[in-house]
Amino acid sequence: MDQAAILDHQFRVAAYVITWVIQLGYLAWLGLKWRSQKRKAAR
Amino acid sequence: MKKLAIGLYVLLTLALMAWGYYQAIYVAPNDAMQGEIFRIIYYHVPSASVAFVFFAVSLIGSVGYLASRRDHAERAQRFDAWALSGAEVGVVFCTVVLTTGPIWGRRAWGIWWTWDARLTTTLVLWLIYMSYLLLRRFAAGPQVQTLAAVLGIFGALDVPIVYMSNRWWRTQHPAPVFGGAQGSGMDPSMVGALLWNMLAWFAWGVLILALRYRVERQHQKIAAAEAEAALNA
Repeated sequence: MDQAAILDHQFRVAAYVITWVIQLGYLAWLGLKWRSQKRKAAR
Repeated sequence: MKKLAIGLYVLLTLALMAWGYYQAIYVAPNDAMQGEIFRIIYYHVPSASVAFVFFAVSLIGSVGYLASRRDHAERAQRFDAWALSGAEVGVVFCTVVLTTGPIWGRRAWGIWWTWDARLTTTLVLWLIYMSYLLLRRFAAGPQVQTLAAVLGIFGALDVPIVYMSNRWWRTQHPAPVFGGAQGSGMDPSMVGALLWNMLAWFAWGVLILALRYRVERQHQKIAAAEAEAALNA
C-alpha cells in the first residue's frame, strides 16, 4: 500500500467515524431528554 | 402491536445500515481517479438528501403552524412539533455533510474548505437552521413559535439554491452526479451501494425524526399542564 492509499484509507475511516459520532451523539442526547421528560411527566 | 412494529422497524433500519456499510466497503469498487476516498460519497450524499427532505418537513410544519395557530390550537402544536423536529434532525444531517465534505475535499482537492457556491450555500443553510434552533432554545414569549415558523420558511428557501448551486455556478464542487449535464452519472457498479445507503440513511433519519417528534409532543404536554397548574394556583 502506497502512502496516498494509506492516507485515503485514514481519511475515509475518519469521515465514517465522525458521521457515527454525530448521529449516535444526537441519539444519546435525545434519549436523555426523553428520559428526563418522562420523569417530569410522572411527577 | 405498536411496540412490535417499532421494534421491527428498528431491526430493519439496523440491518439496512449494516448492508449499506457492506455495500460501500466490500462491494463497490474504488474510484479510478480518487481511490478509496471516493467511498465517502456513500455517507455524504445520502446525508445531504435526508437533510433536504427534513428541512422540507420543517417547512410544511411551519406553514401548517402559521395556517392553523388561530383556529386549531391542537393541530398547530402538532405542526410546530414537526417543524422543530424536521429542523433539528435536518441540522444533524447537514452537520454530517459539512464535516465529511471537507475531509473528502482535503484529499481530493488538497484543501479543507473553499468559498465555492455549493459549500457556501450549504453553510448558510446550516447557519439559518442553527439560528432557528437557538431561537427555539433561548427566546421566550408567546411569539416564539410564530417567529420560528417564519424563520423556518425563510431557511427552506435556501434548499433549492443549495441544490441548484453547482448547476448555476461552476466552481470547485463537482457537477451533479445524477440529473446533471450530458455524460454525468455513476458507474453501474457503484450505483447499488449509493442507493442502499440512501435507503438506510432515510430509514435511520425517519427513526430519529419520529423520536424527536415524540419528545417534543411530550414537552408541549408538560408545558401546557404546567401553565394550567400555574393558572389554577
